[in-house]
Parts: sequence; C-alpha cells; structure tokens
Amino acid sequence: MIAARCLPVFVITFAIVYTILYVVSVEYNLALFTYHPAAEQFHFLVKPATDGPAMYWYGWMATAGLGACLVAGFVSWIPVGTFSRLWSGLSWAIPLGAMAFFCYLLRSFFIR
Amino acid sequence: MIVALLILHGLLAVALIGAITHQAISVWLPAPSATGSFVGRVRAVTALSYVNAVVALYVLTAILGGILYPSYRLSVRIVLEQMQLFTANGLFELKEHFVALGLGMLPAYWYFWRQPLADNYARTRAILTAILAFIVWWSFIVGHVLNNIRGFD
Repeated sequence: MIAARCLPVFVITFAIVYTILYVVSVEYNLALFTYHPAAEQFHFLVKPATDGPAMYWYGWMATAGLGACLVAGFVSWIPVGTFSRLWSGLSWAIPLGAMAFFCYLLRSFFIR
Repeated sequence: MIVALLILHGLLAVALIGAITHQAISVWLPAPSATGSFVGRVRAVTALSYVNAVVALYVLTAILGGILYPSYRLSVRIVLEQMQLFTANGLFELKEHFVALGLGMLPAYWYFWRQPLADNYARTRAILTAILAFIVWWSFIVGHVLNNIRGFD
C-alpha cells in the first residue's frame, strides 16, 4: 500500500533528478568513473587518458542514476502530502528540455 | 565478435522500433476497431501490450550499445574526425545523450502504463511514448547511417 502510494512520486522525481544530474554531469564532467578503451581500464571518478581517448558517458549515467535513486527514494519516503501534487508532466517536460539543451550544446558540430 | 554483437544490436533495435512505433501510433491515432486495411489494424493495436517489451528491449539495446561503444570510439569516431564528418559525429553525440535521457524516463513510462490505466495520466503516457519513439527512431537512423559510412572491416 505504501509502495503504491510512493511509486508515482518516486518515478516522477527520478525522471526529473536523473535528467538534471545527467545534464550537470556532462556540462561539468562529473563522471562517477572513467573508461579508457585503449587500455581497457576503469578508473574511479574523472581521469583523463594518457594514451587514447577517455570515455565518460558511462560515468555520467552512473552519477545521474545513483543520485536520482537516492533523491527519489528520500522524496518518496517523506510523509504523504508534501509532494503528492507533483505534476506528472515533469517526467517528460524536463527530459524534453534537456534534449533541446543538448541540441544547443552540440550546435558547433552542425553550424560551421 | 564485435560484428555479431553489432548485428544483434541492430536486430534488437528493429524489434524495439516496431514495438514503440505500434504503441505510439495506437496512442496518437487510435482507431475504435480494427478495419481491413494495414493502417487500420496498426492503429487499433492494444497499446498496453507493448509496455514490458519496450522497457526490456530499450534496456537490452542500450546495454549492447554500451558494450559496442568503445569499439566505435576507437575505430569509427577517429575516422569520422579524420574525414571531417562533423555532422555525422554530432548526430552520434546527440544519440548518446538522447538514449541516456530515455533511460531516465523509462521508470515513469513503465509506471504510467500500469494497469488499471489512470485517465488523468493519459497525456503524460502519450507524450512519454512519443518522446521514447523519437529517441528510438533517431538512434536507429543515426546508427544505421554511421554504420554505412564506416562499413565493416
């Protein structure tokens, strides 16, 4: 019963916080871990490669996913009423805004 | 091994694109009952029946894409940069971010499609489905185009 009551708050909060954390992680490079494909090595947090490229995408998703789980879990644990009127549309509006943001962020690939 | 995984990734993407497209069409252009035409039958499918398949296929396809990504980073992206194909590179950059954002929407998508369907979530359901359908189509087309540019070794 409690789970059924908390679930909508959890999924909406998760979508919002995950999106925000992902955008912030990309913008400020806050990867939880780094993968160096040439050396086939993982490193905790951000570590620029000395040989070949460094991949941060997995780490950005890990940062966003972990952070969103913690925040959404906490918010859905708060007593009923505080966030019960959370608009369900935020679960798509924030990610849609983030998609537009990435189009803007990566515009240099298309406008030369 | 990489080629086999790439083909599997493509096959899963085809299944995902079929599922999410059927669902999106039936949500945005619903038909009251299945008519004799192909389009009429597509519009009349039961949208609810695709939810678990979409979630499972999205996650599986993303995981496989994640496994293939290092090979892309080492042997495809560098070639694209050398060929000065900035647009192709940018399209892939957008793909990786769109797919990541789609993963964050999946729990909400799954929840709002749970039975019994709540009427007050109908618009949220429809828009989440449309955004996921856009991400899947974008990813499929970009992946396909990049594969055509680079080709197999």
